[in-house]
Amino acid sequence: MVLDGGMGVTTTVDVGASATKPVPLVDEASRDFWEGARQHRLVIQQCEACRHHLYPPAIVCKWCLSEDLAARDVSGRGTLYTFATVNQAFHVGFVDDVPYVVGYVDLEEEPGVQIITNIVGASPDELKIGMPLEVVFDDRDEYSLPQFRPVPA
Amino acid sequence: MSSLAREVAVVGVGYSPIARKGNPDPRRLALAASRSALDDAGLRPADIDGMFHFRFDDDIPVFEIARMLGVPDLASHADMYCSGPSGLTSALAAVQAVASGACETALAIRCLTRASGTTGGLNDDVRPVGGVEQFLWPFGWGAGVLPGMGARMQRRFAEFGDTQEVYGTIAINARRWAADNERAVLRDLITMDDYLASRPVVDPLLLFDCDYPVNGACVSIITTTERAADLRQKPVLVDAMAYATGGAPDAAWAFGDDLLYGSTLPCAERLWSRASVTAADVDVAQLYDGFTHITISWIEALGFCGKGEYRDWVDGGRRIGPGGELPTNTSGGHLAEGRVHGLQFLNEAVMQLRGQCGVRQVPDAEVAVVTNAHGPQAGAMVLRT
Repeated sequence: MVLDGGMGVTTTVDVGASATKPVPLVDEASRDFWEGARQHRLVIQQCEACRHHLYPPAIVCKWCLSEDLAARDVSGRGTLYTFATVNQAFHVGFVDDVPYVVGYVDLEEEPGVQIITNIVGASPDELKIGMPLEVVFDDRDEYSLPQFRPVPA
Repeated sequence: MSSLAREVAVVGVGYSPIARKGNPDPRRLALAASRSALDDAGLRPADIDGMFHFRFDDDIPVFEIARMLGVPDLASHADMYCSGPSGLTSALAAVQAVASGACETALAIRCLTRASGTTGGLNDDVRPVGGVEQFLWPFGWGAGVLPGMGARMQRRFAEFGDTQEVYGTIAINARRWAADNERAVLRDLITMDDYLASRPVVDPLLLFDCDYPVNGACVSIITTTERAADLRQKPVLVDAMAYATGGAPDAAWAFGDDLLYGSTLPCAERLWSRASVTAADVDVAQLYDGFTHITISWIEALGFCGKGEYRDWVDGGRRIGPGGELPTNTSGGHLAEGRVHGLQFLNEAVMQLRGQCGVRQVPDAEVAVVTNAHGPQAGAMVLRT
């Protein structure tokens, strides 16, 4: 099929069931996060020295530069900091997903530490900055993805 | 005295033709823009001993340009990849090289075609993604910085009470100026209704919030003020320059410490701490507009108004338009002149300070500010006559 890539650029690609979403290349710092997600646990680093949380995972604490970082299961609750609705696919793996929402979520354990994720389970016009959210997991072939949805009333 | 070790001036500006259509060989674009800048300055290729290109992987290297021009030797040069402040990086590097004495006369270039980078394309790369991208791409982030731009706009709506129309003032302003710029690719005026009706790309980011990819090259030539005095044009002095990254930089401009402003705030603070003038002295502003949000960030960061005050300050667009108190992006910028990627803002500032802008000339312009990029890649210059 021929896709309108925007701005008049068209691309011919093979899409459909075979189009895959990008798969994370797991590394030393990210292993706990992705392995936790596979088990439907949201795992966030916490610095043993200064107790701040870190996201995305790192090998050095961005707050105090300690390398003593622990993997913590967190509540999976947070609030919506901001979001945007992606109306145009930029990767073949998302052609069938548009529109979808990319959001910044402040984690309950430490607001200001934010995860960039998808906001699911609500249409974009139902979303409000500051609203409470909870984690859900999207199981894909090779990994599971932590996404967030509004907390049911 | 400026803040630099040697006084430095911009003495030549040049462009290739800028066009939306066609598939030109980037070597021809680079050659045309370089020769045009040399001619503007009254210099020969043998006078060039420094060369800098901020470029994407698939754009041409400085060696290719030096060979085409017949430059006999380069005393200082670099191909700079994408962690700098867009095309202005080339000129910032040239300023540093000349100011330090590493070279005498440097050519700064940005040459790109629509085929380079990720312009508007649909990515079909299914290899696993590492680094920071593993925390973005599986979520459908994709496409460089677009989702972050939409998210920044949404946050301003909530935090400052901005509306879509606030962003529209930047898009409309670009076309008003471009109408008087023969080089510009989009010269038709647009209304607020046209802006609001443009396609939502990453809602609330609309199509008219985005730059307009083109084929083109842009060149600036920089030398010492001592040398500049003997050249063809009135020299434009580089009064101050600054970079900033802010905390926790990443190439997707996603996780930095300041989402709304990126590193524009520390960059502006650093710039004014070095400049011989203040924001109140600026006659004309050339502020990056890869996306409308970026221009608004710079206006507030530079102190033309306070954080969150752009909406009232801009006065429906009058403040930044022809005849306004702060004529801004007088070439039409990326949104309308076409995205030659950053360096064009410097060239437009230079031509304004020389008084060569014809119908769009800002009367008696003596001080200009030029900025590039956002996220952790901010860069800026103050220029004066």
